[in-house]
Amino acid sequence: MLPLISLMLATLLAGTVVTFLAGRSARWVALGVSALFAVEVGLLFLAFPGWPGYSSALVPGFAESESYAWVHLSWFNVNYTVGVDGISLVLILLTAILQIATVLYSWNETKRPAAWFGLVLLTCLGCFGVFVALDILLFFLFWEAVLIPMFFIIGYWGGPNRRYAALKFFVYTHVASIVMLVGLLALVFYSGAASFDYSAVYAAGHALPAVTQAFLFLALFFGFGVKFPIVPFHTWLPDAHVEAPTGGSVLLAGLLLKLGGYGLIRWAVFVLPAGFHLDTPILFFIAFLSIAWGSILSLAQRDLKRLVAYSSINHMGIVLLAIAVGSSLGLLAAVLLMFAHGIVSGLLFMVSGSAHHTFGTRDIASVGGATPTTPALTTFAMIGSLASLGLPALISFPAEFAALLATWDRLGYWVFLPLGILVVTAAFYLWMLQRMFFGPPRGIPPDAHDVPWYEGAGMGILVAFTVLFGILPGLLVTVILASPIQSFPGT
Amino acid sequence: MFDTAFVGPFLPEIVLLAATLAVFLLDVLEVRRIEISGAIGVVGVAIAFVLVAADLGFSPIAGLATIPASQIDAGGPTGLYAFTSLGLVFQLIFLTAAFLVGLASVSRPSGEKGAPIFFGLLTLATLGMLLVAIASDLIFLLLAIEVVSIPTYLLVAYTRKDERSLEAAMKFYIVGALSTTLSFFGASLLFGAYGTTNLTAIAGLGSAGVPTLVLLGYAFLIAGLAFKATLVPFHAWAVDVYDGAPNDVSAFLAGGTKKIAFFAFFLVFLGPILAVKATGGAILPFGGGPYNVGPVLQIALAVLAVVTMTVGNVLALLQKEMKRMLAYSSISQAGYMLIGITVATAPALAGATLQVFAHVLMKGGAFLVVAAVAGLGVGPLISDWKGLGTRRPFLGVAFALMLLGLAGVPLTIGFWSKFVLFSSAVEAQGYFVWLAVAGLLNSALSVFYYARVLKVMFFDTPDPSASLSPPAATASLAFGGLGYGRAAAIALAAALIVGIGVYPQPVLGAIQSAAQHFVLTGP
Repeated sequence: MLPLISLMLATLLAGTVVTFLAGRSARWVALGVSALFAVEVGLLFLAFPGWPGYSSALVPGFAESESYAWVHLSWFNVNYTVGVDGISLVLILLTAILQIATVLYSWNETKRPAAWFGLVLLTCLGCFGVFVALDILLFFLFWEAVLIPMFFIIGYWGGPNRRYAALKFFVYTHVASIVMLVGLLALVFYSGAASFDYSAVYAAGHALPAVTQAFLFLALFFGFGVKFPIVPFHTWLPDAHVEAPTGGSVLLAGLLLKLGGYGLIRWAVFVLPAGFHLDTPILFFIAFLSIAWGSILSLAQRDLKRLVAYSSINHMGIVLLAIAVGSSLGLLAAVLLMFAHGIVSGLLFMVSGSAHHTFGTRDIASVGGATPTTPALTTFAMIGSLASLGLPALISFPAEFAALLATWDRLGYWVFLPLGILVVTAAFYLWMLQRMFFGPPRGIPPDAHDVPWYEGAGMGILVAFTVLFGILPGLLVTVILASPIQSFPGT
Repeated sequence: MFDTAFVGPFLPEIVLLAATLAVFLLDVLEVRRIEISGAIGVVGVAIAFVLVAADLGFSPIAGLATIPASQIDAGGPTGLYAFTSLGLVFQLIFLTAAFLVGLASVSRPSGEKGAPIFFGLLTLATLGMLLVAIASDLIFLLLAIEVVSIPTYLLVAYTRKDERSLEAAMKFYIVGALSTTLSFFGASLLFGAYGTTNLTAIAGLGSAGVPTLVLLGYAFLIAGLAFKATLVPFHAWAVDVYDGAPNDVSAFLAGGTKKIAFFAFFLVFLGPILAVKATGGAILPFGGGPYNVGPVLQIALAVLAVVTMTVGNVLALLQKEMKRMLAYSSISQAGYMLIGITVATAPALAGATLQVFAHVLMKGGAFLVVAAVAGLGVGPLISDWKGLGTRRPFLGVAFALMLLGLAGVPLTIGFWSKFVLFSSAVEAQGYFVWLAVAGLLNSALSVFYYARVLKVMFFDTPDPSASLSPPAATASLAFGGLGYGRAAAIALAAALIVGIGVYPQPVLGAIQSAAQHFVLTGP
């Protein structure tokens, strides 16, 4: 069988190296690599038994799995083991989409373009690696590998306060990663798992007593939660997002936050189900806190980019809520919501970046009536905002609907808390649209222009997928269910 | 007359001795070109490396082995010296350090005085390091440490002009003399307690010695060796010496000679600690009857390890000068290495050994980069390095790799060394788990000051007044004032950091089997 996943890793790795060395033509190399990667993702879908109509519920169940020895010592075995199931496959699709959209959007990057495109590919390589790694150390390696390119992206291409933001991002997430690693290692050494492979860890985790599982789960939850980000460990996010260049924000919100959700589901919820069950009240509390706090803060923002950043905390809070529900439907909603948020927040960050380019400001109050000047930007802003507030036929709707339905099943009337907050946030997005794009023109600089073709292309790709999967969410649902989610929590 | 069976095993040491004598002889004959004495030194070290590697049985060159396989890891009291595979691994590590520093030092302005002295002392100190790695007797060990120490006192002051170097050398010498005195006093007490100075014999006698003498003897030995290993609270000299010494000498001190103390720790303390594990005795140090000194030693070493890594890290956070920051970081890394001997299992020894090797590459390499940057006329403060990464990408990327390795970021050798070390502590269970936790917290803390340097190097814009044009003396060298040797040494260190980081199995496998033999057969 073709070692497709290794081939994809090799594509991105070689592509990154060539891009770094490519000088002026780096953007063409990056685009070529992204396109090749997208084709390979397509092949992966074809090679995947879950596409379409795959029903066998294997536990842990990985298609396309490859394994080679890496470091074998007397007291631990580390393997290079990679594979995908439905959850990873959907997030890999997200990686491919955002990669190509980011490369297109930043087509005219003039500040050290070779390094820029190389770091974008490297970030995507790290995220792809996290989604396919089935060995603790391999997983940790890719997890950390994401940090370094993002540190440089924020710190070199970012806004005025970029150095502080880059350092804060690095320190926060690195400390969390170390806690996560300790949790995973404690899991291995206390359960006596034979190796660091996912299947061994999975079996060993299930065998642990529930209370031990609960403590380990909390360590992992902290490690993954900072990436989410959960309140009160979210303060790195607004700084990082606001200071990051637009492409960096897209990757941060679209992919890096998803690593936290993916890690929590794959390495904590599936591996330590009894501990997850005991810790559920804590998860609910943190989820409600994140939802409420994220939306309160987003209501207070005047800066378009900060608004999107804080609403990310809010949306990821809903992801956590759906995970905490702990049912098959809840986890399905969480994965779907992560995919939707990846696409939509990427789109909105691009909109705020383009607004900044053309208006010279992202301040919502100081620009108005932009539609006649920038019709295309208005269209993208409209679609992004409507998707974000959950309009049917756009991608967030099925995801949020499933999440709220699952919450209703578990918590009953508590569902009105997130629902009410969603309504308020929706109103705020509409108000933003009204002030910036409609009404009498105000504060538009004379040289304002509509989005250039490459920015339009980047946003167009995201809009296409927003609509496609909004109308046909079943395509994603089929894939996601080809995973342990289908029978979770099992018997 | 000429007993080849006796001389053969010492061929690497003899090669180094010959190189030392050749360099000094040429100096007397007034042949002082740096290329000549440098080449003799570097080639001598390289030959010794190949010979030791052959003794360890690396397949393509195993035919060159001069030590009969039956003499390696033979076990049992053997007299003054014994060949252990872990000792040979340490010899390779020491020779790597000497090779990197020697190679870099060939690229000096050729008019500089004292080149023959530098290379002669370098090979002589390396010879002493090789002797430490084969010691199996307390007196032999301490004498070998002196063979390392005396040349390094001179190395710190070899330029004979810089007042800071002279002050550093003086401080180094006084502290070194004190440390030697303490160690020998401890050894004399142990001799009084056991009636022998053979380390294997002492380990075998275990609780037979006089308790008070044994405890006092080990206490003085810990203090004496802790000075050499820069453990807190015996560390204060190290920062001033590393700071005041010429940069290449700092690289050799921090990356090379300091490491002998860790092998000395292995030799001296593993025996009593393992004897305890075998008998599982209670802690009754001052009572009559059966007692075990091992748990007391383990607790003392554990406390030293935690204090050393924490104090080193916190002080490193506060430094404004690059060399002082690296010196304090070096102290904190010594704390990690001490975890290995405290836990005293084969995995832990393997972890400590890999950590020593990693530190040679990372810290030695970092000081070599500092030397290169100082050669470009950049000041000593961290803030003087603004924009260096973008203006001199080779130095910037290499230094970044070394710092990332020190911080323990994956895909560097520093990650694996910490991982093996901490996981071995967790695997040993008991209170050792807390050693791993302390180590991890410290690693997290250390990320702060390493990341800060990355920020300064890559994100900050350089002062317009700062120039990166090398002074006239070094401008003639290749690579914009670096010279081939220094560029090659830095590139080699960086490549090994990443190469072993990506595929550590060959190195780790060799170290692991050596550590297993060492725990089974002892020094």
